[in-house]
Amino acid sequence: MTVSPLQGITTACFGLSYLCAFLLELARYTRPGAVWRWAGVGFGAAGLAAHTLYLALHPPAPAAAYGALLLLAWVLALVYLYGTVHYADRAWAVFVLPVVIALVGLSLALAGTGATDPDLGLPGWLSGDRFWGVVHGTLILLAAGGVSVGFLTSVMYLVQARRLRAKVNPGAVVPLLSLERLEAWNRTAVNLAFPLLTAGLLVGTFLLRPAHDLGDNWLSLKVVSSAGLWLVFPVLTYLRYATGVPPRRLALLTVAAFALTLVALAAAHPFAGGGQ
Amino acid sequence: MNLRAIGCNAASAAVGLRERLAFDPAKRARALAEVPGRFAAEAVVLDTCNRVELYLARADGDAPAHAPAVAEFLAEVHGVPAADVFPHLYEHADADAVRHVFRVAAGLDSVVVGETQVGGQVKEAFEAAQTAGATGPLLNALFPAALRTAKRVRAETRVGDGHVSVSSAAVDFLRPVFDTFSDKTVLVIGAGEMGRLALNHIRELGPARVLVANRSPERGAAAAAEYGGQLVPWDQLDDALARADIVLSTTGAAEPVVSERRFAEKVRPRRGGRALVVFDLAVPRDFAPELHDGDRVSVFNVDDLTRVADRAAAERRRHVPAAEAIVGAEVGRFVLDWNRRKDGPLIGQLTAEVDRVREAVLGQLLGKLKGKLAAGELEQVEGAFRLFQNKLLHGPIAALQEASRSGHGGTLREALMKLFGLKG
Repeated sequence: MTVSPLQGITTACFGLSYLCAFLLELARYTRPGAVWRWAGVGFGAAGLAAHTLYLALHPPAPAAAYGALLLLAWVLALVYLYGTVHYADRAWAVFVLPVVIALVGLSLALAGTGATDPDLGLPGWLSGDRFWGVVHGTLILLAAGGVSVGFLTSVMYLVQARRLRAKVNPGAVVPLLSLERLEAWNRTAVNLAFPLLTAGLLVGTFLLRPAHDLGDNWLSLKVVSSAGLWLVFPVLTYLRYATGVPPRRLALLTVAAFALTLVALAAAHPFAGGGQ
Repeated sequence: MNLRAIGCNAASAAVGLRERLAFDPAKRARALAEVPGRFAAEAVVLDTCNRVELYLARADGDAPAHAPAVAEFLAEVHGVPAADVFPHLYEHADADAVRHVFRVAAGLDSVVVGETQVGGQVKEAFEAAQTAGATGPLLNALFPAALRTAKRVRAETRVGDGHVSVSSAAVDFLRPVFDTFSDKTVLVIGAGEMGRLALNHIRELGPARVLVANRSPERGAAAAAEYGGQLVPWDQLDDALARADIVLSTTGAAEPVVSERRFAEKVRPRRGGRALVVFDLAVPRDFAPELHDGDRVSVFNVDDLTRVADRAAAERRRHVPAAEAIVGAEVGRFVLDWNRRKDGPLIGQLTAEVDRVREAVLGQLLGKLKGKLAAGELEQVEGAFRLFQNKLLHGPIAALQEASRSGHGGTLREALMKLFGLKG
């Protein structure tokens, strides 16, 4: 039996590709030149391709920290590639790639913990209770992607606002997206993530929970952090639309929401097998 | 190459004289009609706010003109005494003239180093001369080469980057805040000169509307008419501030016009959290500096803009050596190419002439030796004559090419023509 070379792709392959892309991006700002940029984009694209193939060939359990973080890293790698091609003259990759690399690293560190799903194939996943598990997981993952984009734009916003406050010469620093654009992206990401998270949690609570004996797991870290994350959204929405809170404070709150997202994804799942 | 660049610029002549020597369209047309005949030369007239120059070229013979003759011509056209003009004229010859026009086109000879506007002015001057039929082979090759050099300088160096004037530096502070400008409102408070200049740059971004507020309704109306804006009564300044996204303030008020308290009570609650960028160009300042938070309100004063402009100018200066190196390389290439074009026919003529003499002498010799030499021996004799010719011509041709490379091939070219009886 022959084994496809693609089966040999590991997390190290795309993790190191992303790292190379990040280092080349940094080099671009110290030694300007198109070669750095295109080499960086090349490594980033290669990393994303390897990442995609890995997920297709070794689908991880989304309920486990390893799988959830790896899937979130993939979503953000897509965001990285889109932004770095679309906003070539702006510092984009230097903000997004460290998060992607950190998520890949964190997923590796947490590999082996939490649930492992059997290889059921598509029909198996889409049948019975597991179908709602897939819906729940997909909604939570998309919401996490939204929160992550909100986090990235918030960090960029904070850096840009800090530069403006300090009256840093715009010609002397690597350009970022404008406050206006970052705020718009942040608003859109949060506004999309909130209903997705709500729907995902509702599916998990009302359609999946009855099939499992939750017991004391109502107070598990995953449930508490998810509930905390959900509560952040109405607060964010209220502050944004009903009060004159400066966007800088909203950005800080979005950063906190991202921290809760990471905790929620990395914590053991109370429903899935192997959860503590 | 018989090329001269003769004229004056901001370094050699005061603005008063440059103003008197400026070519309006009618005078330029007259110059382009007269100069080719008067100096028996190709001509281009370059007139910008910082320079007035004539480029004169002749394919052969002596220099087309020198500074005194050009001073006389300028004096006639502009009605200025030649004695007032001549001391301020410079004259660049041949390769130096090539370097000069390349530097001018690249913005390296400008008061604001790296400015790009002059490239367009050089192009326009050349096209006007072409249209008037005043150019010929040399200038038709020179000016496109100058424009190509300017393009290369801009592409390969950062000598044209950044805003180097205080008024244009305002744009640098707007881009980190706003993404689009087509929905933005600009409010101009006062009617100061700096505000007008800054508004000119901001208007290039295409804002939706311009509001003008002034204590004096008459001056306000005049400024609104000049800026194409809408006049706002002074007592409605708070309303205008609530609507504005960008403010240019240049009043002569002794006290701040917008205090922190006034803004907090009457403006901020009505802004809906929108970002505001204020360029407080007044001294003393019109806006309380405490308003600046870099988030919702950013206030930049003249010192902030000056800092940006100074840095951009310093950054441009840092790239001048690289730009000069490109110009140097392009000048060398142009001179070499031109001289090759010029030397090619002469070398061809020289070779043909010596070929003719060789074949005649060889024919006579072979006629006398007819039947005495074997076929192989005849070939050896012919080969020896050819080798002798090549060795004989190698020295003069190499010397001519070397002299042409350094831009001094004219004398040698004439000597060769005389020595070998060539027509050039």
